[in-house]
Amino acid sequence: MSTLLEVSGVSVSFDGFKAINNLSFAIGQPEMRAVIGPNGAGKTTFMDIVTGKTRPDQGTVRYGEMGVSLLSMSEAEIAQAGIGRKFQRPTVFEDQSVWDNLRVALKKPRGPFAALMDRVTAADRDRIAELAEEIGLTDALQRRAGTLSHGQKQWLEIGMLLAQDPRLLLVDEPAAGMTTQERNHTTEMLKRLAQTHAVVVVEHDMDFVRKLDCKVTVLHEGSVLAEGTLDHVIANERVIEVYLGR
Amino acid sequence: MNGSIFTRNKSVPIFIGVLFLFAIAVTVMSSAYGTGAISVSFTKVLGMTLCLCLAALAMDLVWGYCGILSLGHFAFFGLGGYIIGMWLMTARTEAVVRSNLAAAVIPPTQAEVSQATALQIFSIVGGQDWPWMWAASDSLVLTLVLVVAVPGLLALVFGWLAFRSRVTGVYLSILTQAMTLALSLYLFQNDTGLRGNNGLSGLQNIPGAETIGQDRISIWFFWASALALGAAYIASAWVVSGKFGSIIRGIRDDELRVRFLGYRVEVYKLFVFTLTGILSGIAGALYYPQAGIINPDEIAPIASIFLAVWVAIGGRGRLYGAVIGAALVSLLSTYFTGGRAPDVNLGFYNIEWTDWWPVLLGLGFVLVTLFAPKGLGGLVDYLGRKDKA
Repeated sequence: MSTLLEVSGVSVSFDGFKAINNLSFAIGQPEMRAVIGPNGAGKTTFMDIVTGKTRPDQGTVRYGEMGVSLLSMSEAEIAQAGIGRKFQRPTVFEDQSVWDNLRVALKKPRGPFAALMDRVTAADRDRIAELAEEIGLTDALQRRAGTLSHGQKQWLEIGMLLAQDPRLLLVDEPAAGMTTQERNHTTEMLKRLAQTHAVVVVEHDMDFVRKLDCKVTVLHEGSVLAEGTLDHVIANERVIEVYLGR
Repeated sequence: MNGSIFTRNKSVPIFIGVLFLFAIAVTVMSSAYGTGAISVSFTKVLGMTLCLCLAALAMDLVWGYCGILSLGHFAFFGLGGYIIGMWLMTARTEAVVRSNLAAAVIPPTQAEVSQATALQIFSIVGGQDWPWMWAASDSLVLTLVLVVAVPGLLALVFGWLAFRSRVTGVYLSILTQAMTLALSLYLFQNDTGLRGNNGLSGLQNIPGAETIGQDRISIWFFWASALALGAAYIASAWVVSGKFGSIIRGIRDDELRVRFLGYRVEVYKLFVFTLTGILSGIAGALYYPQAGIINPDEIAPIASIFLAVWVAIGGRGRLYGAVIGAALVSLLSTYFTGGRAPDVNLGFYNIEWTDWWPVLLGLGFVLVTLFAPKGLGGLVDYLGRKDKA
């Protein structure tokens, strides 16, 4: 396992409020990592920095074997380099069919002329069918994404993430609003992914994190408070203090 | 999902069929080629309406599909008109000057003709030389190139600056209003070389067709406008049908998601903005020879707002909605503001439509926005559902 993403000494502040404070984080491929922490711990800001949405004031973010810096890349370039992101609130193109949603996400040239000339090949068709199978939406391919249930939208977004064929997946609260059955399916899907990909899961729900059965990073006030197995971190006094109040 | 655009988008064959039948009907009723039931001036109104439909189609692409509420697209329309106008006016004036000088004992040199033509055109604003921007006005080929290139270039530069800085939403709308206002104010100046508030006139006289009556020319331009609209409709339907269409609708609904899928949103926006700027320019170049005159007032900010109103009333994001909205509202405008609509005397108040039409239109816009956000095109959905039930 080699390091795929290395965040070191990153700080960012908004109007004087330090959202991220000297944060360091590394993940290899393949690996599954859960990031937990109370509200305002900087989980979402951390994802924003990695995906290029927010520029840090300090620190470095390096990615891949060559250790390229992500800080000078645009969101689109970072996505093309193989970092996919699922938002907390499911964001799919509600006005379009599930099939169209997946087609847009498929890993193909991203330029406007390529998009104009794009033809759906047999390989594309197979890949979309395969993805739909994976996310349990085979029967819903022609439905408008806006008519899907909350859990289905979450899956569609995960499907779109997979369609991009990323190396690193940043997944923000994938199980929110899902039934127990759906959660179990999501857990299995993520675990299977983590056998070949680097997967970072931000989650509130401790039960869900336990099922993921992976290394856990606890964030608090913008920096890493503890890291290790779930049992190890929840035994940590500082973590208990932060979670249960002092 | 692959296949011809005619089979993929059902509105295309229907639209082209209706447009063709309409063009045939107008020709059959024209005074030059048919019964004469439609006057020459009304033929021109219809031809001009088709050009406005073309501009509305462009507006629907940029706003209805890509979510960029540009309130400056009429600037491109006006630019197209000014560019074709320069050629029309130069050629026409030169012909007049030549015939005036024909009686002279010594035949005039080319330079003398050119000098006299310039004097004729620019004396109204106190000028007597050709301004630099008229350099291409003696060549039809160059003029046609510029009709596409100038609006396209303005859209490209403006769009690049705006989209690169991620100006979106209402700020972008304001910026585009500022663009068309600035252009309009600039053209109002007498010394800009485009005859200030006088604008360009006599554009209905087509060089080389002096012996052909306006009755025939009006039908030719009507057909040219119909062809342009039909071609643009097919092209637009093609652009929005495939993956490109999915992406720009995605940009409209959730720009961030598209970005995180790895698409450079600003490049797509620029593409659509420039394409629609060019379409608007072509529409303007066909419109003003039928209108006969263009002046800076044509590209006042309100004109671009009307364009958005038409598209909203017709229904956004469905191409034919824009065409229906533009045709209906602009024809009604012509009727109500043309002085032919009878006043309504309520006893205590006399409703004069020339004053009250804008109020009615504004009210209609508010009502559509509040109660029928899909516009008139929503009716098509409604009827379509009924058929199936």
